[in-house]
Amino acid sequence: MVGKPQHITIAFDVMGSDHGPAEVVRGAAQLSLESPHIHALLVGDRPVIDEALAGIKHNGERISVHHAGDYVGMDEKPGEALARKPESSVAVAARLVAEGEAHALVSAGNTGAGVLACKRHFQLIPGVRRAALATVYPTRGVRGAKQDPFSLILDVGATVEATAEDLVAFAVMGSAYARIISRNERPKVALLSNGVEPQKGPPRVVEAHQRLSQMAGLNFTGNVEGIDIPRGTVDVIVTDGFVGNVCLKMLEGVHDTVMELAQYAYKESLRWRAGLAMLSSGIERLKDITDWEQYGGAPILGFDRIFIKAHGRSKARAIANAGKVAAKAVANELGTAIQEGLAK
Amino acid sequence: MSLPDRIDPRPPRRIYRWDLDKTYLQTDFESLRDLFRTAFQKAHEKVAVPGASALIRELAEQGDSRLCIVSGSPKQMRAVLEEKLKLDGVQWDEFVLKDNVSNLLRGRFRALRGQVGYKLPVILESRIHAPVEAEEVLFGDDAEADAFIYSLYADLIAGRVDERVLAQVLEAGGVYPDDAARVHEAWKKIPIADPVRRIFIHLDRLTPPAHFTAYGPRVVPIFNYFQAALVLLADGHLTAPQVLKIAVEMVQTAGHNIITLSNSFQDLLRRGLPLQQAAIALSQAMEGPNALLKAMRPVPDILAAFSKRLAALGTQPPPPRVQAVDYVSLISHALPRTHKGRSTKPQT
Repeated sequence: MVGKPQHITIAFDVMGSDHGPAEVVRGAAQLSLESPHIHALLVGDRPVIDEALAGIKHNGERISVHHAGDYVGMDEKPGEALARKPESSVAVAARLVAEGEAHALVSAGNTGAGVLACKRHFQLIPGVRRAALATVYPTRGVRGAKQDPFSLILDVGATVEATAEDLVAFAVMGSAYARIISRNERPKVALLSNGVEPQKGPPRVVEAHQRLSQMAGLNFTGNVEGIDIPRGTVDVIVTDGFVGNVCLKMLEGVHDTVMELAQYAYKESLRWRAGLAMLSSGIERLKDITDWEQYGGAPILGFDRIFIKAHGRSKARAIANAGKVAAKAVANELGTAIQEGLAK
Repeated sequence: MSLPDRIDPRPPRRIYRWDLDKTYLQTDFESLRDLFRTAFQKAHEKVAVPGASALIRELAEQGDSRLCIVSGSPKQMRAVLEEKLKLDGVQWDEFVLKDNVSNLLRGRFRALRGQVGYKLPVILESRIHAPVEAEEVLFGDDAEADAFIYSLYADLIAGRVDERVLAQVLEAGGVYPDDAARVHEAWKKIPIADPVRRIFIHLDRLTPPAHFTAYGPRVVPIFNYFQAALVLLADGHLTAPQVLKIAVEMVQTAGHNIITLSNSFQDLLRRGLPLQQAAIALSQAMEGPNALLKAMRPVPDILAAFSKRLAALGTQPPPPRVQAVDYVSLISHALPRTHKGRSTKPQT
């Protein structure tokens, strides 16, 4: 487990993002100007990184480069790609984190390759059998000292199936993450099921409910239904990777549909267009509040090292924020918090 | 110009020219408030850029160099600035400050903020008295026109700039006729030589290094003075133990650490500066009579971190290209900054 370091180094997998390496380099450069205690280790094609870095404002004292000549593309199969490209940027970055050259990893590249690289190089925290991919999504409510409108849902696809024991571990990991990152002292944690009653749901969910109810230190509120996801009735929703991924895609689909409907309304009727124009400042405000870029990325929880998966479409600001989230998780010893939570 | 603070009968082998504000001193004059605060600061309240005084002291150790300071600060600040330099243990040979009261009284408003018409004649006049073979290293910053003026100075005395280009630059730079005449007069008195080895630009504003590419590899933008010390080690101006002493002082007094120093080292390597031999010299510095350095924390850790940063790069990048500087097209770099800020678009 990584101790509490004075200076935090974040390894950035520079290659493989949708916007190309320059955007990740810009994000790391922005981080070097904003956060004196964070150092960026840029892993990728050195000439490409050097060219991008030379032309932008940055602090050279807080950035170093590690050359990795290969990368895994977004459309490549993770297992095959990593086997074929052991010196790909994500693999090298994960190895450097495991060797202690950096404290955490941020990647905007292929998610599967990132998770697989972590599995190969990181250790699972004692008591965790499977890592979980967590993601935040905007809700109606706000929570924590930051008045955060985002709730956390996990697992959203790191593993397809989960046992009761896994679900318990996910709950502890999600709670620790929400406490540290959202500064929410007692995050409300719930299991996703088809009814709020404790006996509702498949056996693994019922068993997890029983075990979570008995856990001291965890603010477990019971089961929630699908309808509670966008309402934000709880701060952390726990489910297995299959259901979580379906939910996540549905949330994204609903968001896209609402946007398309608004565009349709704008085109179809002058009255609706006027109405939307009047609401424009409110819509902009809503966009700011629910701006995923400010949140940086999705954490992969359960390993002894931190991995933040930034969105493939992340621009510099989102990359810099992913670095800050990773540094915050390191500084607040997220791994230790999870381990302590599991021991209770 | 003040009288020399020390009398050295030997002709200097090396001349180090320094700017003060934002190069040697951490100075804020972005706002009127900053300007007033700077003007009324006492000597002990002024703060040097980390490593700057240590570097000057180590460069003076050889005993065959001159330190010439040319600053845009007003003459009225001489006493406090001299006191600050003395507090830092810095001994100078020339110390020129700007006579802005005279500029104001004579209605020369362009000269109040203009740099070319002030610094260029001063350093050319200073060079008249230097031995032809005396090498020069110049230190400036990215807040003003130092890279432009120093490069122009170097190329003028090396005979690489002709009279027509000089006239165009002085006119475009808004230089008053009497200052332009001083430039021409001093220039004609200097025998042709190529003494300027390096021009260090302290990146106070963190201007992207590529902004200075057009000046060629002689101009080295630096994030800190440890970087200057490394280059000067490679250039033979400093020894490895001297560089380690500067590093240790920066760690002990300015919050630097193994990561910032090793990142600084790698930053220079990535820009193509040939520092491999310097790195070897630093490792060897801990052997033999300097074995004591091993006990000086964190010297061994710094060197171990250097090896890692070197190995992380893969193949060494090619050295930067030497090219003629097109001063006429770069004149915008030499004009006083507007409130909108100077463009930092890299030159190609």
